[in-house]
Amino acid sequence: MTRRRAVRLAAAALALAGVLASTAACSDDEDVPASPAPIAGGASALPGPAPAGLALRPAPSGAPGAPAVTGTLTDGSTLALADLWAARPVVLVFFSSWCGPCEQRQDALSELARTHRDAVAFVGVVTEDTPEDVQRYLRAHRVEYPVVVDDDGAIWQSYAVREPPAVVLVAKGGALLRGWPGGVDAAALDAQLRELVLA
Amino acid sequence: MRRLLAVLSLPPLLAGALTACDDAEETRSTTTVRVLVRDINIRPEGVECAGTGPYTHFHNRAPFQVIDGDGRTLAEGALPSGTSVATFEEDLEVERVPTYCEFAVPVTVATRDAYRLVVDGHPPIALTPNDSEGPALVAVVPS
Repeated sequence: MTRRRAVRLAAAALALAGVLASTAACSDDEDVPASPAPIAGGASALPGPAPAGLALRPAPSGAPGAPAVTGTLTDGSTLALADLWAARPVVLVFFSSWCGPCEQRQDALSELARTHRDAVAFVGVVTEDTPEDVQRYLRAHRVEYPVVVDDDGAIWQSYAVREPPAVVLVAKGGALLRGWPGGVDAAALDAQLRELVLA
Repeated sequence: MRRLLAVLSLPPLLAGALTACDDAEETRSTTTVRVLVRDINIRPEGVECAGTGPYTHFHNRAPFQVIDGDGRTLAEGALPSGTSVATFEEDLEVERVPTYCEFAVPVTVATRDAYRLVVDGHPPIALTPNDSEGPALVAVVPS
């Protein structure tokens, strides 16, 4: 083996070692399975069981029944609103990702939903939007409740919602208690929850 | 060498001249596209709004194109939010009143005989020049 050939072999070996090392480094990254983030607003965002002994105010007699609609969540799973209000009050938040007033109030509403998690179920209802924009909006504003995609606007129509934002409060059992066309801020909604449904 | 330089410099000069001709043909001016969506929705006056009922495609970030009579795109972009305007002047002494939703977006367009507005792929709406409040192309929906 000539000296020149030996140098070439050594260089090749070093290069191969470098490639292997870098491949190993890459493999290490790849070995950790990149767990895809769950789709925001999907079935994983559904509330758990209502707290045992949840104290609620009775719904006023004569209150009309809320439309018991069934919708499709952002991940394609099905949600029947009546299944949620069978166990607890429900707040419906009608929104679109392009709606400025929705965006301005969303962070506080998301926080309010976390405060009452499981005791009061929040459900978003979105229309006239794209899945990408909806996901961006839900992540940006930490929306951790389920979101129904109302592509044809049928659920909006059934609740007589004409434009976002709007909020609807439904008592346990399905009585329609309040509606806020134009939306409501979190502090006012919290006060109404404590006055109308939470004992 | 001098001859070569002359030959090499010819195409850019020609291209420049052609571009100048194009610019001369395409006189462009800035105007405002104004669309009044007469959806008669109950809202406070002067707040951010979107079209309702059959006009839900009029909303913030909705894609639009201004096209000419032959369907060629002259300008495109995304609508801003609308602003609610009262449908009549009477004071109803309530916060929420019957309103329309008005959109205004600046565009720069080449001069044409006719302009139309396409919002989110919906059928074109005729735009009419109106300079009563500055240069504008206006439409009322439904007309």
